[in-house]
Amino acid sequence: MSEWMRKVLEGKRAERKRLAALPFSEKLKLLTQLRDRSLAIAASPLRRQSRSR
Amino acid sequence: MTPTLKVINQMQADGVIGQYAIGGAVGATFYLEPADTLDIDVFVSLQPSPGSSFLSLTPIYDYLAARGFKSENEHIVIEGWPVQFLPPADALGEEALAQAIETEVEGIKVRVMSAEHLVAIALQTGRAKDFSRILQFVESGVLHTDKLDQILSRHGLLAKWEQFGQKFMRGDT
Repeated sequence: MSEWMRKVLEGKRAERKRLAALPFSEKLKLLTQLRDRSLAIAASPLRRQSRSR
Repeated sequence: MTPTLKVINQMQADGVIGQYAIGGAVGATFYLEPADTLDIDVFVSLQPSPGSSFLSLTPIYDYLAARGFKSENEHIVIEGWPVQFLPPADALGEEALAQAIETEVEGIKVRVMSAEHLVAIALQTGRAKDFSRILQFVESGVLHTDKLDQILSRHGLLAKWEQFGQKFMRGDT
């Protein structure tokens, strides 16, 4: 594994740890944001076009 | 999500549901980083209707419909969040419900399944996303190994855990 990739993976691990350590109420707010984003993506005309192809 | 949790607590206060525990991705979020999910899994203990030996979700649906909440397939949308109410399917589900931990979200009391029970249920359910969540739990270091072993042993999941380890955690355990 390259040094660059190792740094990327370490950074991701650190970010996951930071997010996991947030208070539950903060994490639930993030969940809501994630869900809203997923629903917006699912409703996007671009997504619907790619599905119908 | 707080308004949704308030409604669920009110359902308990009004006797529509007994003890409850949040499981699934929302339950896992108590211990892990937030993961995208579209619904809330609420495990509930139900009392049989008077004169019947069957457990029914009808009182839940009736209660929520009377308050203007709409059902969508197997969910009921409460304050914008689809909620699935799940009576425990077996002894593992009952134990997970009984041993859930109590926490607070913005002053609202909420019961969440223990990390070890979430892992055992994910192992039992066995979909790709469940396995992925188990790996997140293992990597996070929040699991109490002894407690998990006891749960897996009690509910006949040790062989499945062994298979899971061989497939996904070779070299990590």
